[in-house]
Amino acid sequence: MTVALAVPDVLVARAQAGDEAALEALFRAFETPVYNLARRMLRNAEDAEDVLQETFLEVVKSIRDYRGEGYLWGWIRRIAATKALMRIRREQLRATEPLGEELGKPGMHVGANIDLERAFEQLTDTSRAVVWLHDVEGYTHEEIGELMGKSVSFSKSQLARAHARLRGMLGEGEGARA
Amino acid sequence: MMHCTMDDLLALRAGEASVWARRHAEDCATCRAELDSVYQRVAQLKALPALRPPRDRWPLVRDAARVERVRRRRTWSTWGLAAAAALVGVLLVPRFGGDGSKLHAELSRAKDQSATLENQLQNYDVDGRVLTGRTAARVAELEDRIAVIDGDLAGRSGVKAQAQDAELVKLWQQRVDLMRELLNARSIRTRYVGL
Repeated sequence: MTVALAVPDVLVARAQAGDEAALEALFRAFETPVYNLARRMLRNAEDAEDVLQETFLEVVKSIRDYRGEGYLWGWIRRIAATKALMRIRREQLRATEPLGEELGKPGMHVGANIDLERAFEQLTDTSRAVVWLHDVEGYTHEEIGELMGKSVSFSKSQLARAHARLRGMLGEGEGARA
Repeated sequence: MMHCTMDDLLALRAGEASVWARRHAEDCATCRAELDSVYQRVAQLKALPALRPPRDRWPLVRDAARVERVRRRRTWSTWGLAAAAALVGVLLVPRFGGDGSKLHAELSRAKDQSATLENQLQNYDVDGRVLTGRTAARVAELEDRIAVIDGDLAGRSGVKAQAQDAELVKLWQQRVDLMRELLNARSIRTRYVGL
């Protein structure tokens, strides 16, 4: 999805001064991209809602620290990604991620978005997060490694495994080897 | 024939592939098709529709933000007020005498009541969370009004005119009244939550 990056400086300044209407305007501007990011990274819609709430609590608390370097969306997105990854880590501590995944469910055909969406949801939490952050949000492997507290090669190998699995689930060609 | 692995294909996409992978992809139609599939998958992922939050979470964020704002201000105003009260005491006590002794007694009583209420309020501020938006708004409003009075009191710390003394007592009494209301609002909320 495309996110409108430009937020008027005056709106940010008002939010930094604690103006509630300005804070709400920021919330309204970014609630969908934040929720979408969290929902794509997390398996559960309620968890994504919680990340949305936690992210904006952090935004409200820390908006004074935002110095205007880079887009506001980049700053907010990093908070949201961190919150979502924390949640994934917490879940992983509770239960080990399944090693095997559902490969090639019936009804998954090449091409249609709905199938890709369903296949994407079958990936492990970590793989999904890496794919979304790298391929959609445009994070580098260095940034993902830093966010996840892992190495660059971890991020690269997760991405490669995820693509190999997506390819398998979507029943695409047999040429490449994972 | 050996084909590109998924690592090779992603490296090709990133422009970081080995010499072998680049040369192989130029000659191998299968691997070029695989690389196209990677590009298509990524494009399709980017084109997925935005998922929207099913519920409005702003009221919860707003209420929590209000509590945070008030807490920060209270921390500041408690320290500021303590300093201001000490200064006011030093400046005004020698001036009270005769008719002024009644004002002095009233001022002392109001300050004592204010301190007692402040202590009681600390007991209700257990989790910093507010149950309803209405309660949060009422608490925020009362805190705002107290903060205004605190600011006024702090600003008067250097005022020496005798005419201000009665007004000072009045301000302290207003503060006590507002704190009683605040205590009431918080205690009702606490009883409701069952803390």
